[in-house]
Amino acid sequence: MSQFIDADDLALLASSFEAATADAPGPSEADQALYDLGWAELLASAPGQGAATAFNALGATGSAASLLDDVVVNALGAEAALQSCCVFPAPHKAEAPGHLRGETVMVDGLLSARAETAVAAVLGMGTENGVGLFAVDAGLLHGPAVDGIDPGRAYRRVVVEIPAEALEPTAAEGSWESAVAAARVALAHQLLGGARWMLGEARQHAIDRAQFGRPVAQFQAIRHKLAESLVQIEGAASVAGACLHDPDPMLAALAKSLAGQAARTTATHAQQVLAGIGFTAEHRFHLWLKRMLVVDTLFGSASSIPAEIGHQLLASGQAPRLIQL
Amino acid sequence: MDPETFRRDLGAWLDDNANDLTPPYEGIGSMDAHMAHYSHVKRALFDSGFGRYGWPESVGGLGGSPLLRAIIGEEINFRDLADPNAWTMIEVLAPTVIDFAPPELSARLVPPFLRGDEMWCQGFSETDAGSDLASLSCRAAETDGGWVVNGQKIWTSFIEYSQRCVLLVRTGEPESAHRGITALLVDIDSPGIGYSPIETMHGRRDFAEVHFDDVFVPADRLLGEVNGGWQVAMDILPYERSTTFWHRGALLHRRFSDLAAQVSAAGNRGDAAAKALGQAFQWIVAFRSRSRDTQHQLAAGEQLGVETSVDKILITSAEQQLFETARDLLPGVMEFDDGLAAASWRNDYLYSKAATIYGGTAEIQRNIVARRLLDLGPES
Repeated sequence: MSQFIDADDLALLASSFEAATADAPGPSEADQALYDLGWAELLASAPGQGAATAFNALGATGSAASLLDDVVVNALGAEAALQSCCVFPAPHKAEAPGHLRGETVMVDGLLSARAETAVAAVLGMGTENGVGLFAVDAGLLHGPAVDGIDPGRAYRRVVVEIPAEALEPTAAEGSWESAVAAARVALAHQLLGGARWMLGEARQHAIDRAQFGRPVAQFQAIRHKLAESLVQIEGAASVAGACLHDPDPMLAALAKSLAGQAARTTATHAQQVLAGIGFTAEHRFHLWLKRMLVVDTLFGSASSIPAEIGHQLLASGQAPRLIQL
Repeated sequence: MDPETFRRDLGAWLDDNANDLTPPYEGIGSMDAHMAHYSHVKRALFDSGFGRYGWPESVGGLGGSPLLRAIIGEEINFRDLADPNAWTMIEVLAPTVIDFAPPELSARLVPPFLRGDEMWCQGFSETDAGSDLASLSCRAAETDGGWVVNGQKIWTSFIEYSQRCVLLVRTGEPESAHRGITALLVDIDSPGIGYSPIETMHGRRDFAEVHFDDVFVPADRLLGEVNGGWQVAMDILPYERSTTFWHRGALLHRRFSDLAAQVSAAGNRGDAAAKALGQAFQWIVAFRSRSRDTQHQLAAGEQLGVETSVDKILITSAEQQLFETARDLLPGVMEFDDGLAAASWRNDYLYSKAATIYGGTAEIQRNIVARRLLDLGPES
């Protein structure tokens, strides 16, 4: 049964999550630290607020912790555990990553760092009756190491073939659609936490950096870029917040897309305002930029979700009235 | 009354009275037709009681949360029952008049506005005082029993149909800026007021230039304090940016739904069309969500301030993106078609270009966000 946590407790949780993830050297240590703080119990009792708080912290600290596995497992009605991971959809997609071809399951998806140490993985597979959920030995998902763009290696692509007999059906209560919605809202919070961090870095740089005898923050061209970033962040944050009280899957999709767009816009503007130093490896900006590029692709991106929603609108020939007073 | 019950009862009443409330004009309609029908709908809502909720009893209302007023405008706009700008003028002007006018004055003047018997207008901008509103120069000099006003205003909407005007005048020295401005509630039929309509690029005579030539305004028409007009002007902002924006957001939502229906019916169902629609829709929803938060802050009695510039930027961006998307997804329609739907798209597309200019330009809003919300210090 979900309970509601008041704002003070939530703020306290947020700061302890941020401290724990910031101190952890790698994703598995971060996972462990958050489990020690009661993350799994929080997720089970207050999934919306818990995920929002934790994923904002991930965004703010740039942590590569693998909490997305827990969010999906929890939404599917199972108990989150450090031994469990999930196969996420392929980049820019929300469809289940498994497809049956004869006796073989073709898997094209993404894995978090959790998959390196987990024992069992949850795999969604498209069937005639919707998405079926299966348990599979996580060892079967190991593939060649690929560096990709993100030095923190929070996620990697997995393209493997698994014999169908290796799959065991699970008795999951939740649907794939509800797991997609929960993942999207959580990731929206991570993108927004990261976007706020990038905006904060750019803001401080603009105040500290002087050219032509004054802080560059005095130039309107710079002020307007940062203002535009904040406006997009706040618009997206409002929708992500609304998802806490409204489980509409379209609203969750919009939250993810808007957050991805806000993060893209903020990254572009922050990069420009940070200028030379922001292009170096010395400044941490590039770590957040690269993580944002990766997280944006998870469960549908700021470029793929609008088309997904647009097709739904075109099919129904009208726009649903989301968000009520 | 709780908002959900109110919305349900209001919706049922609007459905029952749809024949009477649906505009007699097709398509865009003339200003005269719009204003006549606006008065009719306003009166019908007042008589039914719905139109009185959310307003204090002292001005003829039935009390209750201002959220109820937001809901009325939302339903009116979703059903396209009345001119949206006319409908929302009372939300811009009346709450501030109630805050600043002597109680007996608002008790006498606001009820006819609420009933749709009257329209009011806003005399703020001047030719040389647009974004820099505090530099306005239309002057009021003290005289026996009141004020004598001389000068000009511009961009005054609905003056042709109005009985009163909330007017900002200079009462301090010319260089007194925002410290020397006073607000007056002026009768439009006062001798010495004249106006010349301004035709807009979307082909309407939406507003006018107003001339004041020795216009006498009685002392009891003072709103707030002498030289306290800036506070009155600033008081309008939270109302304008909560209820009025919520109303306009509903209009944009309906027009977006129209667009989805028309693009769908035309069989334009490719990925490019879907993506453009989804991108336009997401910012309409982002605005609506943000505006909902703002409405609840207002209803909870919180002081709204500069953060409403975020709402303003979101709605103006969403509006312009919507009508640019309509132009792309209904190819050639607004350029080459004279049908009713095309005329509406053309009208709304052109009107959307004003969204980043009126009520504080897009640039002014971003300056405010940079200075006050991002704390970037003064501009160079």
